[in-house]
Amino acid sequence: MTAGGRRVTVYAKSTAVSGTPVRPGKTYPLSSLDHLMGRHTLHLVFYYRPGPTLDRDGLKESLSEVLSHYPAATGRLSRGEDGGWIVKCNDAGVRLLDARANVTLEEWLGSASAEEEMELAYWEPMGDDPSIWSPYYIQITEFEDKAFAIGLSCTHMHADPTCATLLVRAWADSHRRACIAYAPFLHPPAFLPRPDPRPSHPLLSLKSSSAPFASNSKMSSATFRFSDLAVKSLLADLQPDASPFSALAALFWSRIARAAGVPPGPGELTLVVDVRKRMHAPLPHGFYGNALHFSRARADLAAGVAHVVDELGRHVAGLPEDEVWAAAEWAHERRHRGEEAFQMYGPELTCFALDHLMAYGAAFEKEGEGGRPAHVSYRVGGAEGEGLVVVLPAAEEGAARTVMVTLPEEVAKTICRDDAILRYGPTVMFAGRV
Amino acid sequence: MPAEPLPLFLSSVKLKYVKLGYQYLVNHLLTFLLISTMVAILLELARLGPEQILSLWRSLHFSQVQLLCSIFLAVMAATFFFMSRPRPIYLVDYACFRPSRTCRVPFSTFMEHARQMPFFDEKSVRFQLRILERSGLGEETCLPPANHYIPPQSSMEASRAEASLVIFSAIDELFAKTGLKPKDIDILVVNCSLFSPTPSLSAMVINKYKLRSNILSFNLSGMGCSAGLISIDLARDLLQVHRNSYALVVSTEIITPNYYSGNQRSMLLPNCLFRMGAAAVLLSNRRRERARAKYRLVRIVRTHKGADDRSYRCVYEEEDDEGNAGINLSKDLMAVAGDALKANITTIGPLVLPASEQLLFLLSLIGRKIIYPAWKPYIPDFKRAFEHFCIHAGGRAVIDELQKSLDLSAEHVEASRMALHRFGNTSSSSLWYELNYIEAKGRMRRGDRVWMIGFGSGFKCNSAVWKCLRTIRTPVEGPWSGSIHRYPVHIPEVVKLL
Repeated sequence: MTAGGRRVTVYAKSTAVSGTPVRPGKTYPLSSLDHLMGRHTLHLVFYYRPGPTLDRDGLKESLSEVLSHYPAATGRLSRGEDGGWIVKCNDAGVRLLDARANVTLEEWLGSASAEEEMELAYWEPMGDDPSIWSPYYIQITEFEDKAFAIGLSCTHMHADPTCATLLVRAWADSHRRACIAYAPFLHPPAFLPRPDPRPSHPLLSLKSSSAPFASNSKMSSATFRFSDLAVKSLLADLQPDASPFSALAALFWSRIARAAGVPPGPGELTLVVDVRKRMHAPLPHGFYGNALHFSRARADLAAGVAHVVDELGRHVAGLPEDEVWAAAEWAHERRHRGEEAFQMYGPELTCFALDHLMAYGAAFEKEGEGGRPAHVSYRVGGAEGEGLVVVLPAAEEGAARTVMVTLPEEVAKTICRDDAILRYGPTVMFAGRV
Repeated sequence: MPAEPLPLFLSSVKLKYVKLGYQYLVNHLLTFLLISTMVAILLELARLGPEQILSLWRSLHFSQVQLLCSIFLAVMAATFFFMSRPRPIYLVDYACFRPSRTCRVPFSTFMEHARQMPFFDEKSVRFQLRILERSGLGEETCLPPANHYIPPQSSMEASRAEASLVIFSAIDELFAKTGLKPKDIDILVVNCSLFSPTPSLSAMVINKYKLRSNILSFNLSGMGCSAGLISIDLARDLLQVHRNSYALVVSTEIITPNYYSGNQRSMLLPNCLFRMGAAAVLLSNRRRERARAKYRLVRIVRTHKGADDRSYRCVYEEEDDEGNAGINLSKDLMAVAGDALKANITTIGPLVLPASEQLLFLLSLIGRKIIYPAWKPYIPDFKRAFEHFCIHAGGRAVIDELQKSLDLSAEHVEASRMALHRFGNTSSSSLWYELNYIEAKGRMRRGDRVWMIGFGSGFKCNSAVWKCLRTIRTPVEGPWSGSIHRYPVHIPEVVKLL
């Protein structure tokens, strides 16, 4: 733990621009789903062990190359004619921070708190003038042993976790001089309303009309790394043919409900799922922007975790595409009424399915030299309330998963000591107040 | 320009042929006279028989001694003549620094940084925006890495890093192109106006490339944007004295330490226009190099108007009221540049213009002095003396001004405008980027003459005339390699920035 002094120092701020100029006059309108996420920010940290080609200047060069493929990321937000946000692709670049940490990577992974981890992903909220504010902040932190941490913070309006991950992955591909595997796909009309729109989203309507969440309890975060064997044994205990996401989500939901003092019985959980590949006309992985769907899953917590696993699995598998379109139309209508964004993640307990992310494929070094990230962290800013549970992939292949929880302080403390979870031997990292 | 009474006559087509005939006659007058004399003598000789020629010869009564003496005198005169001619100076090859794409400065990034600097007020930001919009620069110009930080880092270490980057990269490319070994360099001249560390930049080059200990090295600083031609002049003079030598001339401008952080408008222009660049040129007086040299240096003419106070203070480095150092460009810059140019071309005119133009100019001068003082002066047509023009890309106004006063077409100034667009004002090395543009476009043929004009603080106007020795084939490996196919571009008067 920190002994007074900070271990991370940000010593320079600059702007990284793309290698080729953007054609002047290009604009990219944000979709209605993007507008919904206005209150939230995304913070990613990718940790890399030392490698022969991993150095600051090389990283900056490959970043310039990859930004040529992302004209929307190097643009600036401005208000369009209808009052919504559009991105003016004016080639201004992304903000780049240079930082140094005076510990080695292993020491950091073993001892850093959640708050400290956020020092690796610098963020400045939008000030008065969006035309000079960069929506992306990229921080390159060098550890004492020449290991690197790449922190990316962005506004959730521009990108969801899949999009942000694939940006870093494209950067890694470019650094390795390989072809970009999941090229960005800018397609503003992706979520425009259907010819006969049927807007409806009971969950979000409820959230938008409720009073903004005001709580004085601080939030805490913790990361649980479950190995392949641990998840397999969890599945064996609960439901052998369930998905790791359902099993882990069910486990944490039931433990958090108990820790929070919720009486056992029928309960509801908000699930957030990426819908790129769930549509009849699937969007490419590289689709730029938000493609998330918020829905409510119901299960009886008193009936045992196995039952909850079943319910969650059924819910996620059976998500009707109609609902996704109805949600997009609802969001579209809302935007045209000129209403402001509201809190999407929370205040009720939310669970985010991100284990499809290809984060660990973002290797900056060539194959066989251990270039894959040692660890990847994700955090969503603005998720106050009962908490957020995010199920992520892990460095180990197979069924291994990482679960990051952001909960009210007391609940978080209980969960970190919870037997039912610790039974499976997870490594607990980055615990502490955010 | 023509006098009023004869408009119809002057616009007739036949006059064009009269002009052409006149030019051919006057320019090749000596040839015509010589040929006609030789023909007359030959005819005369043919008329006389061989015996008559022999008897004519004998009647001259030349004794052996007289014959030998006259032959000896003739040989001595010829030797004296050939030895006293200046050694030809060959430009073997040159290389320009190619900036990396990460150093690119789009207009929007420049303006964003300007808005984020705490020391610029609102008016300064708007002024810089207006300058950028009308500057004639493109979106691919590059600033050194230190200037990309908020705020820019202008430490000595950063300046040295920029100097190493630009200079070594240009010299490495030159060595690769010419196959020259560092130990072969006899003379080294480096010029960089605004950054002059101790040890000098020339010492830095000697240290990096392990040049010989008996090298003649010079470092010129403070001489402004025309210092490139001054360095060439210095190298040329040295090559007259030292036989069989190679001279390496490096021209650059280090931007890092010169970021102006104040609000005085006349000092903000360099921030907006100056960009990173460097050129390394290899000159030689070895006869062997003539086979592969690209150009031969014909003439250098230097004009210095520093004696005039207004010219002296025109580009002046000083501190503003708040103590920020910057380069103050006065409002008379264009007028002073015009004066300096006039002085320079008055000197270079007689040396390069064909006889036809000079005769016309002389007649018009006599006419104005004696006959009719109100006649417009005849401006010699320099397009007849040169095929290519490289005008220092100091700014759009400079190029416009020169195009107007020398009556050049758009194609003549294309190299300058496009170099300004692609690379910005790279100060003393801009002439080499422009020359490379002409080569990359495949316009440089053997026998073409190039006129390089540089302006600099002081106020100086320097000209160099080069003659191309071999046609240069495309594609040319150089700073324009990746972008020449996109040029020329149309540069609008005002670029509307978002």
